[in-house]
Amino acid sequence: MGEWIRLTAGPVFGCQPNPEAGILEGMGSLLDMQTLKTCLELSSPAFEGELLAKTREAREFAEVLQLCTIRKRAFAKGLLPKSEKIRRIAMVGGSNMRPMSDFIEYFAAVLGGVSCEIWIGDYDNYHAELMDAESPLYVFKPDTVLVLPSDRRCVFSGSLTSSRAEQEEAAHHIVGELLDLSSVVHELCGAEVILGNFRLSPYSDPGAMRNTSLISDYSFRKFVNLDLGARMPSFVHICDVEFLSNRRGNLSGVDDRTWFESKQPFAADLLVDVAREFAHVLSNLKGAPKKVAVVDLDNTLWGGVIGDDGLEGIELGTTSPRGEAFRDFQRYLLELSKRGVLLAVCSKNDYDKAIEPFENHPEMVLRLKDIVCFKANWEPKSDNIRQIARELNLGVDSLVFIDDNRAEIEIVNQFVPEVSTIWAGDDPSEFAAKLKDSRFFEFRNITAEDVQRVQRYKQESERQQHLNTSTDMEAYLRSLEMAGVIKPFDRLDAPRIAQLIGKSNQFNLTTRRRTEAEVLNIIGDERYSAFTMRLADRFGDHGLIAVVIGYAREDDFEIDTWLMSCRVLKRQVEEEVLNEVVRLARVRGCTRVVGQYIPTAKNGMVRELYPQKGFSHSRETSGGVQFYELDVAQYEVKPTQINVK
Amino acid sequence: MQQQEVLAKLQEVFDGVFLQKVAVSRELSAEDVEEWDSLAHVSLILAVEQTFGIRFRVGEVEATKNLGDLTDLIVKRLPQG
Repeated sequence: MGEWIRLTAGPVFGCQPNPEAGILEGMGSLLDMQTLKTCLELSSPAFEGELLAKTREAREFAEVLQLCTIRKRAFAKGLLPKSEKIRRIAMVGGSNMRPMSDFIEYFAAVLGGVSCEIWIGDYDNYHAELMDAESPLYVFKPDTVLVLPSDRRCVFSGSLTSSRAEQEEAAHHIVGELLDLSSVVHELCGAEVILGNFRLSPYSDPGAMRNTSLISDYSFRKFVNLDLGARMPSFVHICDVEFLSNRRGNLSGVDDRTWFESKQPFAADLLVDVAREFAHVLSNLKGAPKKVAVVDLDNTLWGGVIGDDGLEGIELGTTSPRGEAFRDFQRYLLELSKRGVLLAVCSKNDYDKAIEPFENHPEMVLRLKDIVCFKANWEPKSDNIRQIARELNLGVDSLVFIDDNRAEIEIVNQFVPEVSTIWAGDDPSEFAAKLKDSRFFEFRNITAEDVQRVQRYKQESERQQHLNTSTDMEAYLRSLEMAGVIKPFDRLDAPRIAQLIGKSNQFNLTTRRRTEAEVLNIIGDERYSAFTMRLADRFGDHGLIAVVIGYAREDDFEIDTWLMSCRVLKRQVEEEVLNEVVRLARVRGCTRVVGQYIPTAKNGMVRELYPQKGFSHSRETSGGVQFYELDVAQYEVKPTQINVK
Repeated sequence: MQQQEVLAKLQEVFDGVFLQKVAVSRELSAEDVEEWDSLAHVSLILAVEQTFGIRFRVGEVEATKNLGDLTDLIVKRLPQG
């Protein structure tokens, strides 16, 4: 994720309704843009922040259109910096892609911090544009292709008396065609594909048959969408038009008139929602979700103040509606924890009192075992939050802080701006919904590693304690009874590899992000030698903890990527990785191993890694990238306490 | 809403759509404004509908020749009173 998350408090993207405005937004209550216009006129430094705030709120077409114009004026005045991150996006589909494409460009830049150059296909010409390797689309060389097929083409055209099997076959066929097109794109130019699925018909026709067979547009498209989700390969991503349309109300998403007049795919406001979503998906292709939910206690997990009201006095559970709402919020947090989100507590309380409900309240859903880090004291929350990140060995920007107290939220925003925050508000029945709509914890898929993560972090804290008691490092490492597995990239591991590549910041020499599809490409490419390492010890299994991508270029074996999970630092994993790198270099007949360090704001911990491991410095580029070399012939295999298979 | 009020509100819409300052008048048409291409037109009409809370019928807008015609159409579509 980019810079933008830092500028914001709470949800950024998504279709989150403005809580003050209520869920239903009415006509004629367009956003007031006066402050923004004044900032523009005065060339105020507050302009960018104001633009972001208005963009997050804007739900209606007229608002976004005006924001686009205001931004263009700001560029003309030099009020906005030119972004350097240029993504090349091709957009094709079964309807007129403009003005939607303008909005996608707008949202990606303002909300996602990603500036795009967009190539737009002709109306309903996407089959030809995607199939023909010589088409202007491929001349453009897109890195991402957005495809929005028209729902008018997603209808059952067979006999009305056909069998269910024939109807399903027709749906499979449509999905197959779309996926074939996507594969062609991927094969021809390696681009990721973001595919819009189909909204459901808002009309009553054909009554009861809507649900009994697939002949109705409604059930046919529903089936197609499910089939698409089930069959899509890793380089295809869904822009969930069905969901967005349902959320806004299918009827309000349809405007047949603008279809007949200018081939617009949706009614004006749904156009905004879909553009927002396309922008969200494309800005987050290589990003990672947040890792930790840090929650306050009093009036966030339960009603009342534990220090004043005591165990019997707090509101929690089925004895009152408010108590039920808090319990429901806890249930959702527990669900997140099962997905691999770590839960931490940050509360101004006496520790002994704060843990009491976790240990003894019968209606508590969350127990101490679910909390990986528990801070209850009277220090500022900003300090505690930094401490939590340190103890978990994670960047503070992986944390989301949730509190019912607006002042605490603002203090954290000010003093730990990297942390994302959610102000829970004062109605506990809305807490779960707010978190569910924040989009901070969205996973593409959930791996077994995610599910075990919470357990591992608990083990890590035990391990830290163990480390404190052992003074002799070698003896300590031996006592861990470590077992490692090193093996070449494996298709089955690809999701986890892509996940690590996407989120490792600290122990990451080059911070080159790659998608799952790109990882799969490496597996098939002879020039690469890429491997992973897993580690287990007597406290538990760490799972996949290191990713290395080597590239053989004549005599040189280049380390394109070397990243590791910070959990296993100082465990001699680096030595084992290097042993393997040199072994592979020898297999390849290379005489030198070439490593590079590309500095970022977060990877300072590995700045000296190569020199420490016996590499000699060879050169530095003007961009500050350091190159190091190691003579393969001189290298001696380093013994470790890890039993490697 | 009277013609003059409609024109004043249209001026706000135009300010939100076009980068250059376009002074609205009954005689104004797309040919007078460089930015007013078919894309801007789609957006302009959607913004007009949203701003006034009205809905045109299919083909109606295409039949208008200048802003005067559009203003008449808006007045016609506005709820009476």
